[in-house]
Amino acid sequence: MTTKRLSIQRYLPEQGNNTPYWQDFDIPFDDSTSVLDALNYVKEELDGSLSYRWSCRMAICGSCGVMVNNTPKLGCQSFLRDYEGPVKIAPLAHFPVEKDLIIDMGLFLDHLAAVQPYLINDSRLINDSEEGTETFKQTPAQMEKYKQFAGCINCGLCYSACPQFGLNPEFLGPAALTLAHRYNLDSRDQGKKQRMPQMNREEGVWSCTFVGFCSEVCPKNVDPAAAVNQGKVESAKDMLIGIFKG
Amino acid sequence: MNKGTSLNNDASENMRRSDEPIWWGLFSAGGVCFAVFVPAAILFIALLIPAGIVGPDALRFERAHSMVFSLPGLIFIGMVICLPLFHAAHRIRHGLHDLKLGTEHLNKVATYGGAALLSVLALVGFAIGIL
Amino acid sequence: MAKRTSYFPELKRNWWLKHPYFKKYMAREATVLPLVFFLLCLLAGLYSLLQGAESWQGWLTFMQSPLVIAVNALAFIASLFHAWTFFQLFPRVMPLRAGGRTLPPNLMVLGQWFGVVVVMVLAAWIFMRGL
Ligand code: SF4
Ligand code: FES
Repeated sequence: MTTKRLSIQRYLPEQGNNTPYWQDFDIPFDDSTSVLDALNYVKEELDGSLSYRWSCRMAICGSCGVMVNNTPKLGCQSFLRDYEGPVKIAPLAHFPVEKDLIIDMGLFLDHLAAVQPYLINDSRLINDSEEGTETFKQTPAQMEKYKQFAGCINCGLCYSACPQFGLNPEFLGPAALTLAHRYNLDSRDQGKKQRMPQMNREEGVWSCTFVGFCSEVCPKNVDPAAAVNQGKVESAKDMLIGIFKG
Repeated sequence: MNKGTSLNNDASENMRRSDEPIWWGLFSAGGVCFAVFVPAAILFIALLIPAGIVGPDALRFERAHSMVFSLPGLIFIGMVICLPLFHAAHRIRHGLHDLKLGTEHLNKVATYGGAALLSVLALVGFAIGIL
Repeated sequence: MAKRTSYFPELKRNWWLKHPYFKKYMAREATVLPLVFFLLCLLAGLYSLLQGAESWQGWLTFMQSPLVIAVNALAFIASLFHAWTFFQLFPRVMPLRAGGRTLPPNLMVLGQWFGVVVVMVLAAWIFMRGL
């Protein structure tokens, strides 16, 4: 078995070391060794103090995001075989680092909550008759409109890929704006009016300059950049409507 | 630690509507012009004719004069000068932000103000020419 | 709660040098710099046209100087690079639907390049007719 050199950014504030540093490990690997497997190997065989997040190992839970050679990646979905030379692993960019590869996602979660990413529809509450327990109906064509934007697993890779979020953490950012757009496009939803004020802000859709790297790194092909920029069209329309209504 | 204040869905200061749709609209229109009309304009006016590949008579004084100071000339000024100016202003403004230069307000005034000034200059020049 | 000791590096102004994707982004944003030069040339041309045949001739000579041609050649390449990036963005920002289906993005990109070619032909006709 061949080995691969991994440089991992360590940060251990509880040991009184308040500056991050790099630590090298040599990892035996084959074609099926993922970055997450490599981290597990380090923790189990070489250095038990390494901290990182993971759960599903199959690109579903979205918890194993790290920077691999300066690009945001899911550890479980990236393979050592695809990298020539040593591999540099660091915590996701643009977030506060708590320990080693563990970041504080609080900002991201706040931004998600701000756009109210859930169905807003009061019609089922009007009379608690039997209709109240009925499910919403939706045709395949209606679902097609938002389906691509509904695949997000909240991994945060797009935030680490977004320099505008890096420059201004107040920017709602790719995933949150994508979810806002996804619910606005949903035929069952009536919450667009409540979401538009968030999107219309400077820190809403308008901080985006269509860098496009978010869509490049998204492990679920959600294309957040497209959603955010379609959100700009919606926000511009919203402004025009506001002007005509006075 | 948490610097996020964007959670409050109230009508506070940070919920203000951005004026960006105006600039983005001009940017987009200018971007289309930059992509569709400007390449041909540069190719002929700034490359083929000055290099002598297309006859020098193409921009002879009388000919140029009657071409520019006409309705098509006005359309040319709008599509090849004014709108691309606003496109450029928008990208320069955001580029300055990307490079962490200047302040948001100052950059806005300088870039869009510059584009507006040069556009007015072009339109005034056109007006003088047809009068 | 224990004292938070998180590490939060600030994004430095040279962030875009750290990844090839960001360099390409900055190149896209920088396409407007030679564009501005070309637009200033056009404005100078407009005003020299107003000042009579002699100053117009001066402007034509100015446009022939190698440095000006070089920068304008750069502007030409920049305009095509801009077009290449801009045309790809369009179908993502405004996906067009026809008959209940989204038009294939490649078709929309191709359609826009067709527009560029049409404008080139039109410009050739405008500048070269009667020569
Ligand atoms: S949009 Fe993609 S990259 Fe961003 S959080 Fe969702 S799944 Fe992750
Ligand atoms: S471990 Fe769940 S996405 Fe990688």
